[in-house]
This record gives sequence, C-alpha cells and structure tokens, in this order.
Amino acid sequence: MNYTFRLALRYLAGRKLRTFLTTLAIVFGVLLIFGMNTLIPAFVSSFQASAMAIASEVDATISSKTGESFPAATLDRVLAVDGVRAASASLERPINLPQDYFDKDPQTPDRVTAVTLVGAEPDSLRSVSPYLVTEGRFIESGDKDAAVITESLAEAAGVGLGQALTLPTTSGEVNLAVVGILPQRLMPGNEEVLVSLSEAQQLLGMPGVINTIDANFDSVDKARRAEIEANIKSALGSSYTIGVLQPGAEILTNIKTGQLILTLLGSLGLLMGGFIIFNTFRTVIAERRRDIGMLRAVGASRRMVASLILMEGLVQGVLGTAAGLLLGYVFARLVLALIAPIGQQYLNVRVGSPSITPGLVLISIGMGVGITVLAGLLPARSASRITPMEALRPSVGAVSIQQLAGFGFWSGVAMIAVALIALLSGSSALLALGAILFTIGLILVTPALVSPIARLFGGLLALVFARRGTAQLAEGNLSRQPGRAAITASTTMIALAVLVMASSILSSLAISFNTMLQKSLSSDFLLVPPSVITWGTNLGADPGLADQLRAVDGVEVVSTLRFASTQIDGVAVGLLGIEPEAYTQTSGLTFSAGDPQSAYQAMESGRGLVVNGILGSTAGLALGDQVTLLTPTGEVQYTIVGIASDFLNAKTTTGYISQANIEKDFDRNEDVFFQINAQGGADLAAVEAGLKQVIRPYPQFKLVSGAEFLEQNSGLFDAAFAGMYAMMVFLAIPSLIAMLNTLAIGVLERRREIGVLRAVGATRRQVSAVVLGEALILAAIGVAFGLLSGLYLGFLATSALEGLGFPLEYTFPASGVIAGIAVGLIFGALAALIPARHAARLDIVKALAFE
Amino acid sequence: MNIVETEFLTKRYGQGETAVIALDRINLKIAAGEFVAVMGPSGCGKSTLLHLIGGLDRPTSGQVSLAGQDLATLKDDALTELRRREIGFVFQFYNLIPVLTALENAALPLVLDGVKTEEAQAKAKTWLERLDLSDRLDHRPDQLSGGQQQRVAIARALISDPALILADEPTGNLDSRAADELAGSLRQIVDEWNRAILLVTHDPRISAYADRIIFLKDGTIVDETRLSEQERSAARSGEILEVR
Repeated sequence: MNYTFRLALRYLAGRKLRTFLTTLAIVFGVLLIFGMNTLIPAFVSSFQASAMAIASEVDATISSKTGESFPAATLDRVLAVDGVRAASASLERPINLPQDYFDKDPQTPDRVTAVTLVGAEPDSLRSVSPYLVTEGRFIESGDKDAAVITESLAEAAGVGLGQALTLPTTSGEVNLAVVGILPQRLMPGNEEVLVSLSEAQQLLGMPGVINTIDANFDSVDKARRAEIEANIKSALGSSYTIGVLQPGAEILTNIKTGQLILTLLGSLGLLMGGFIIFNTFRTVIAERRRDIGMLRAVGASRRMVASLILMEGLVQGVLGTAAGLLLGYVFARLVLALIAPIGQQYLNVRVGSPSITPGLVLISIGMGVGITVLAGLLPARSASRITPMEALRPSVGAVSIQQLAGFGFWSGVAMIAVALIALLSGSSALLALGAILFTIGLILVTPALVSPIARLFGGLLALVFARRGTAQLAEGNLSRQPGRAAITASTTMIALAVLVMASSILSSLAISFNTMLQKSLSSDFLLVPPSVITWGTNLGADPGLADQLRAVDGVEVVSTLRFASTQIDGVAVGLLGIEPEAYTQTSGLTFSAGDPQSAYQAMESGRGLVVNGILGSTAGLALGDQVTLLTPTGEVQYTIVGIASDFLNAKTTTGYISQANIEKDFDRNEDVFFQINAQGGADLAAVEAGLKQVIRPYPQFKLVSGAEFLEQNSGLFDAAFAGMYAMMVFLAIPSLIAMLNTLAIGVLERRREIGVLRAVGATRRQVSAVVLGEALILAAIGVAFGLLSGLYLGFLATSALEGLGFPLEYTFPASGVIAGIAVGLIFGALAALIPARHAARLDIVKALAFE
Repeated sequence: MNIVETEFLTKRYGQGETAVIALDRINLKIAAGEFVAVMGPSGCGKSTLLHLIGGLDRPTSGQVSLAGQDLATLKDDALTELRRREIGFVFQFYNLIPVLTALENAALPLVLDGVKTEEAQAKAKTWLERLDLSDRLDHRPDQLSGGQQQRVAIARALISDPALILADEPTGNLDSRAADELAGSLRQIVDEWNRAILLVTHDPRISAYADRIIFLKDGTIVDETRLSEQERSAARSGEILEVR
C-alpha cells in the first residue's frame, strides 16, 4: 500500500497541470457547498443575534407570539406568578433611520442606521436590569420629551448631556432632551433611546400598550427556572411566548429556501466535479494502457492496479476538498463583506463571520472525498481488467454500431420514452423522475450516436474548414473512441443542461416579476421608508400625514400600506393593510388564484385575506380556506379570498387585509408606505414640491418619483439575475476541463498518426484543424443533448418553483438557448487550443518513431 | 530439465472464414540455460508464441508448461505471481514507468512481490552495475538513451532470478552498436548466470548470439538450426545467413 501510494503521488506529480485541472473540479464543488452553507446560517444567526443579546440580560423575556403589542395590565399577571422575583414592562420599537440622518454627510458611512426606542417605568426597569448612568440622571416616571442614551449613540448623533436628540415619530420629528448618558454599548443590536413608558406610547401612537415584559426569577436552579417559565406560560395563555420575536422573522422562510437552492447548486457542482474526475480517470487509463499492461506483465496484481487508480483519486479528493474548504470560507467572507452594507441598511442586521459547524465540515469532506473516490471506482475496475496483451496492441479500426447498440443504449432509449410520457402527464412527481431519466437516458444513448452525429456535424465543419479531409479525420477519430467521446460530450451536456435550465427559470422569473414590477410600482410618486423588506423595523406615520398629502394641490389619490405581524399555523406572516379602491388605482396585486374584484370586495365587507404564493405554499393554503390569525387580543378567523403577490413582497410570507380590519384586530393605523397619483394634466414638479413641504417633519420617509423607483428596482433585479447567470457559467467551467483532458489524450495517443500526416504534407494549421474539428464536434454533441435536457429540466424547475409559491409562468428561454449554443461551441474551441498547438508542434521524426 | 514445453500449441483469432491461425500446433522445448532465438517474416507468429509462453495470452488449444506447471491450470493471480517470479520480460519499447527512476524501475518486480524497498533496490543496484549503469541509477527514462533504457529493462527482467527471460525484439529500436551490446549482455546472462532466454527477432546478427535458432512461417516451425562458431561469427559481422 505504501508503494502504491508513492507511485500514485509520482504519477500525479508527473502530470502537474492535469492533476491541477482535475482537482480544480472538486475544489469548485466543495467551495460552493461549504461556502454557501456558512453564508446563510451566518446571516440568519446575525438576524437573531440582537434578540438573543437582549434576552440574555434577564431570565425571561416575554412577548406576543406575533411580536405585536398587548395590554399593559399583562405585567400584573406575570408578577403574580410564583417564582418571579421582578418584572418590567416596556414598549420597544426599532426605528430605521434615513441615510445620513445624524451626520448629514453622504461621504461618511453611517455608524448608527437604526435605534430602538424603549419606553418603560424606570423603577421596574432597573429592578431587572442594571442601568448605571455615567452622566446626568436616569429617566423618571412621567418624564416628557426626555431621554437617556448611551455614550456611543451620543457620539454618533453629535449630542451631549442637556442637548436635544431629534428622532422621527409617527406624528413627526421630536426633540428629546438628553438627561442622562449610559456607558458605551458593547453588545450586538441597536442603540437604545430610553424614555418613560407614557412618552413612548405617545411618540409611537400606541396608548395603553406594551410589547415586552422582562422578568427575573428567584432561583438559579435549572429545573426550578423551567418550572417558573411553565407557570408564566400557563398564566398568560398561548398568545404569548418566552423569547423575543425579531422584526422581520417572516423573511426567514425565504432565507431558508434560498439556502436550500444554493445547497442544491453546490451539490450539482460537486456531482459535475465527480463526473469530471470519472472522465479524467478514463482518459488517464487510456494514456497509461501500456504502463498498466507492463505492470501486469511484470507481476502487479489486479488489486494493485485498481488501488493505484483509487489512491490517485483519494489524493486528489483530499487536496481538492482541503482547498475547497479554505476557498469556500474565503468566498463566504467576501460575500458577507459585500452584503453587509445591504443587510445593515435594509434589514438592520449586522452580519458577522461565516458560520462553521463541525457537522458541515464533516459533510463537505465526506462529499468532496467521497465523490472523488466513487468517481474512480469504475475506472479502477476497468484498469484492473487491462490485460498485458491489450497494452501491447494499439487500438485500430472502427467500432460497429451493432456493438454499441447494446443493453446500455436500449436502456437509455427506454428511459427517454418514459421521461416523455412523464412530461405529458403534468404530475410534478413524475416530472422530477422524468427529468432524471431523460438526462441519464441521453448519456446512455450517446456512445451509439457519436458516429452518426459526428458525420452530420462533420459535414458542417467541412464547410467551415473548406477541405473535407480535416473534418473527415476529426469524425473518424471520434468514431474510433465512441465511449470516450460520449463521456466528454456528456460532461458538456450536463453543463449546457444546467445553463439552459437556469435560463428557463430566470427568463420565466424575469418576465413574471417584470409584469408585477410594472403593476406594483406604477404610481407617480412614492414615500419610501428606509427598509421595504422588513416593514416592522420602520416607523410609520399616523393617518394625519395621508390626509395632509391628499390636500396637496394636484394630488388625485393617496394609497397607503399598514403593517402588522401575525402567525398562521406557526408560520410568521407579514400582514399588509390596504384600501382596495385607492390601492388598485396606484398599484395592484397580481392574482394567480381567485378573482380580483371579488377578493377586494370580500376584504372590505368581511374578514377576507389574500395570501401571496410563498405564504400559500409554506402554510399549505388554498382559495376558500378558513385560517386563524394570531392577534394581540387573541385568535381571529379569516377566509382566503385570493392568492396574489405584489413586487415588493413576493419573496416573503405576506398576507393582505383591509385597513379597517388591521385597525380593528391589530390596533394598527400607522401608515408605513405611500403611493400617490397626480391628477391628469397636473404640473408634476409643483405637486412634488407640495409633497416635499408636507413630509418635511417626517424624515423617516423619502419622496421618490415612480419612474425613479421603478428604475432602481429594475436595476437591482437585473443585477441579481446577472449574478445568477454568472454562477451558472461558473458551474459550466468543469466541462471545459473535461474536454481539454480528452483532446490532450487524443493527441498523445495519435502521435504517430500525426507524424504521418505531417510527413505526407499536412500543414501545422491542418493538424490543428483536426483537433479543433474534434473539439467542435464533441461540443456540438454536448450542446445538442444539453439543450434537450436543459429544456426539460427548465420546465420541471419552473413548475416546481411555481408549486413553492413563486409567481411565474414558464417561458421558452430563447436567449438562453442561443447563449448555450454559443457558450458550448466557444468552450469547445477554447478546450482545443492547447492540444491543437501541441499537435501542430510535434516533431515529425519523433512522432513517427512513437508507438 | 526443460524450462519450457509446448505441446500442439495453437492460437486462432476470429471465427469462420475470417479466422487467422497465428500459431498452428507448435511443439517446442527450451532447456534450462539455453538461448533460443525465434525468427521469421512479419506475421509469422513469433510474438504470439512469446506471449503464450509468458502467460500474457491464453492459447486456443494445446498446452504450455513453464517449470513443470501447465499454465492453463493457473488462475489470473497465480499466473501473475508466476510472471513475477519465474519470467523476466524485455519488450521492444522498453516499457519503463516514466515517473520512476532507473533504480526504481529495476526494483519493481521485487517490490510488487512484497520485498522491502531498500532490499529490492539494493539488488537492483547490483544488476544495474553489472550492466554498466552505475552512474544512471537516479535517472528517469526520459533522461536515458535507448540502449540504457533497454538495459534497465533487462535488469528489471533479471531481478527476481527468473528461470526464463522472454525478449520481444529487444534491439528493434536500437542502433547497431547498442544492439550488439545488448545482445552481448543477453549472452552473458546465459553464460554467467545460467538463465534460459527466448528471443524474438528478425535481425540475423542478433539471432547469431543464440544457441539455437527456430524459424517460423505461417504459424508453424519450418526449420531449426544450431550455428557453428564460424557461422556465428560471420552472422555477427553482418554476413547474410543462409537458411538450411
């Protein structure tokens, strides 16, 4: 074994470039799997970090399951529970601040982009948490327009003791006198602005309510604490939870779906890597037929030969996996660094380092090394079966189609037939099976079809090269080794299938989302809060602002959105309150089930609920279903009257009800988003000026024109899609490596033939053309089959995404098909460059002597 | 004692009308320490005979015995072991492992047999020194001349003290001087170390080093001769041999 290992290392070192390129395929796959799976959990854990930090200061933090407010009297019920030593009630709201709110300097990055307004009774607050003021005093009960802040916030806001801190509120900006300074905040989470409870209730327009109770227990014993928690839950009922619900929890579903998709991509990348390894081993064995035959002749056992191949695979797998883990970590760090500002700005999340677990490392190692060794199994077996005699004879002659059209070929035909039936069935499960069978079937039939397809494309090539001879030679070379040609073409096929599948999904998504975009953001003006992704972190405005906006000269209609959090069957839901009449004039939902007119009527006349596709599929909801919504005062029944989405909320679990119901059931009348249409013929500049005047005391909103907002969102959308396309092309790179390997081996094996060609008068250019011709034929085969497979997979994937709730319709990816053909042929040509050059430069005499 | 005995040894390729009979009922005996050359035109079955005797291929009918063992009764593992211990191969195209040094290539059969690497390489070194390659031990095949590579192959063939050396056109790729040197080395193997050699060649000068020359044509032995010292000397100097 020791000797086999050393020999394996020698062979790997003897072909450094090939070893590097093959190992690269594994590196890609592991990088994607490991990198992606450290990325998303880091995001999710950062998302929940601030809540954990707050909760860790006290024994228990009690909130409503939905995160909404509840009556202040709930505190008394908690205090009455046996084992609760102290408890404090507070009303807390994160307030996203507009950009450059404190420093007014666009050149300097904002240190503070959000604060949490905390209103509490000072004595009970200090009974559960230590607040040591370093300057001034702590808040006092009944304080008006006064606040206590940390040193770090004071520094960022440029205020000191006795000076005014300006904050946006629902009724406009207020100035709060800084009466006390606390030490610097060291924990993750927002800076806090402490005010009295009554002050907070007034500033937030939420009289008589709280949303958090912190409690400390009288015991440190684990079992006793669990008992006290159970007592609290029993006293308060099922509407409450111990733990803080982070605003924006509704996007966690979306993030987890994203993680699943990225993991699938990584697995696909790794599978392709394994296929590349398999292909490379096959060609390596072809190259080393003589060596292997000689080894067998001098007494190496079959087992030793197989071990040699497996050992090479193992070494490459270990090296590739190690490099993939390292690069995956670096990749994740880079991506997190890139998206950190976005997370901070839009989600109010400070993203940390990639999240690595021992389990993930083990799984990545298992997959990376495992796939490589698996990929080497068949080639190792094949190598061990090489007899000494085979190594002494060159391979000559054409292989008959009859030989090739054996069990494998007919199995492939059968699989394709089954797949086509599945396609017609329309069933999702059958479609998925059909996609796998279709792809495998194509791979199995390829060897038998190499020759006829090569002849077909050879004819086309002859037109390009203008001399029949070179195309004929290229055809013949491939027909002589149909198995090897098929494997290389299959690798190209898989890469192309991935590209075309991605193109199908992205084209369908693009058209569907574009339609929604145009409909959702078609108003003349918008008032946009800092985050349009997590509505709960935004501070809105009381209904007075909307009234003022309606009164502006030239304004025809003002439509607003109101926000509340709820749960349906344990799924976190963002609820948006709309006024259907105004809403449909400035925006609108794109319905995939239910009639819009009836749905809006049902919302206005009763408890009608429209859910978006993501929510529908996550919670398993259908038109007409009765659902229970969790509200601050209990459970309320709603009826699903439609399944529809708008552009801004299509990716998060969102429901839509009337504003009357959101006020009645959730006590919410705060407007968080405005869309405004001007009257026909009005001077838009004048209207804009009027609107700006009105919103001056409301810095939490930014006035943008509809055209500008539309363009911004289109741009973001296009950028995201470009990124996804880039990733797909990235996945196709391993196929380039596979093709390069095959062509290089082909040149090596036919050295003597190339020498003869040159001796009888072929120019270097013509020799290069033969190699190039082979590459293009291989690429053409791969492209043709890849397109077929990709179209099938694309149809399947689009249907599956539709089932998951994404609003889209299948669109034929015409541009993707053209791009796929171009990419496939260009890859073919690129892969031929080095081998073609090598073939052209062979020394004629040496080549003739080679056998 | 005979190292090799064949009885009605036959090898046929293909079936029916397109069948080709490469060897047709060959009866051959090679004694221990005997140097036998096989000659004949292209396609007469010389290499096929060598491959069958070496256990590299299976006959269609007939029998091959090596050191008393009927090769047909051996399974692949046993045949492999036999090749490792009882036979040394010298091919026309050297067939050295390109990533191993001369020393490592020569030591290969012993290492494959489980002998410790140091011990195997010590023995390999001895043989390489005997073949005038003491200053090339750490050279890889691409750093050696054709003649040197072939001598490494000979050292590899001898290292496990085999009873029989099978050489298939070993001088085919060498210039005349190197070829003479190589043939001389083979002669030395027989004279000094008492190995049997079966050499396939179409070069009469090289066959002149043998004790006995067998002539094949169309798969059958058509003649067999032993050269006198005078004839041997004439053949080595390039004079054409007359086939009796």
